[in-house]
Amino acid sequence: MIEAKNIVKRYGEFVAVDGVSFSIAAGEVVGFLGPNGAGKTTTMRILTGFLPASDGSALIDGHDIFHEAIEARRAIGYLPETPPLYPEMDVQGYLTFVAKLKDVPRAKRKAAVERAMERCGLADVRRRVIGALSKGYRQRVGIAQAIVHEPKVLILDEPTVGLDPIQIREIRALLASLATEQEGAHTIVLSTHILAEVEAICRRVILIHKGKKVLDAPLSELTAGGARLEDAFTRATQRDEAAVPMDSPPPQEASSSRPEATA
Amino acid sequence: MRHTFAIAGRELRSYFVSPIAYAVLTLWAVIAGFFFVAYVGFYAQMQQYPDPAMLERLNLNEQIVTPFVQQLWIVVLLLVPGLTMGLFATEKANGTHELYLTSPISIVSLVLGKYLAVAAMVSLLVVLLGAFIGLLFYYGSPPPELPQTLCTLAALWLVALSYAAVGTLFSALTRSQLIAYFLTVVVLLLVTLLGELAPVAAQAAAGSSEGVTSLVAGGTSVIRWLSSAEHFEQLATGLVSTRSLAYFAFMIGAFLIVTKTAIESVRWR
Repeated sequence: MIEAKNIVKRYGEFVAVDGVSFSIAAGEVVGFLGPNGAGKTTTMRILTGFLPASDGSALIDGHDIFHEAIEARRAIGYLPETPPLYPEMDVQGYLTFVAKLKDVPRAKRKAAVERAMERCGLADVRRRVIGALSKGYRQRVGIAQAIVHEPKVLILDEPTVGLDPIQIREIRALLASLATEQEGAHTIVLSTHILAEVEAICRRVILIHKGKKVLDAPLSELTAGGARLEDAFTRATQRDEAAVPMDSPPPQEASSSRPEATA
Repeated sequence: MRHTFAIAGRELRSYFVSPIAYAVLTLWAVIAGFFFVAYVGFYAQMQQYPDPAMLERLNLNEQIVTPFVQQLWIVVLLLVPGLTMGLFATEKANGTHELYLTSPISIVSLVLGKYLAVAAMVSLLVVLLGAFIGLLFYYGSPPPELPQTLCTLAALWLVALSYAAVGTLFSALTRSQLIAYFLTVVVLLLVTLLGELAPVAAQAAAGSSEGVTSLVAGGTSVIRWLSSAEHFEQLATGLVSTRSLAYFAFMIGAFLIVTKTAIESVRWR
């Protein structure tokens, strides 16, 4: 469903994403992990066609995100880091507008908006102006916006960041229901740096660190035998830093040990 | 095309829930009303002259409609950038540009949708003006000539539409509404003022060496060509020429195409 081939993104000298490849099958729920600044958002922006890659390519539902942008984008629901909301619109009006942008046919538009509001618990605030909603509700509108056209692929960039614990639980429950209902209907990629979130929802983990993929494994494998995801995360991301004291030259082992983790 | 209308509709609605549309419409009505009263008052004074030859030449189109509308040029120059400044700048500031750049829509329909919304607002301004001038048709004897009056209004409409295209471009270049506003006003003013200065510069350079003269002549002709002043004046006095109409069509088209390119190029950085 999602095919990333050697994605590279350079900003001048700086390499934000450095040759990331992965393949995600239909119905998979993947946690996209990494420390802040690892290149998660950039990778997601490339997958959604918001940014073009400097090198490499991405296929969404069999369409190249750059060369067949319109078809590929039709298959994507995307929640950016900042939900793309118009504060002056009401919830229902906004979702109807998004449904138009996403080519939901006129006859199905009303039902689609209704369904998205239903699933995200927005039916009670449908006439409220988005700018007047709490942050948790705004995040829900952001998710509703991503699912209103029933996309095959759902890409969510830190959907729970900045929410209080109760809101986080609600959003997580919502995501979990999206992941489980109609098994295989949604392919979900979820970026976060909250490990508990991954453990609650995802079945596979891709870990990005300094623009490179350092880990790609099923969650069950990483947590097998009571192992903690946090340990795997720490091992993968801190390997080179831990091995490089500030005052000594980098040991060779730091870079050579990386391929093991990628396996 | 359906995307274009969806975007235009959203944009128009957002004009009317923000203070901008109301501020612009109010300012416009007040300033235009002020000018209108002044011109009508002036006209009434002229009618008091006992000179029959003078009275003979009095004409509502020439003494009121055309100068009144021409005066409003500067108001249009200051108000239209207020309508365009937010078009793309606020989207970038709010992060909503991520929505439309990841939706299955073309950038052409995006730019057209935004422009259509501003064009509707600009048209509303001109219609308001029509209400003032309508009074002349009701009370004037003889009333102004309809075709010439429409032509004068169309002149202002076209100028405002071309300014809106310029403003659309600058809004796409920045995430700050304020910067978009000032850039648009400064560029529009510069081009117009330089257009006015062009003949003076050409005269001043006439005495110097040949190279300088031709250089100045070249520069001034480019500026004069860019400036809408000449076309506006001709149209406003009722002189319709294909050249003027082509000028406005070209300006609007060119700036919208550059806007589209600018949006695309942002994605490349």
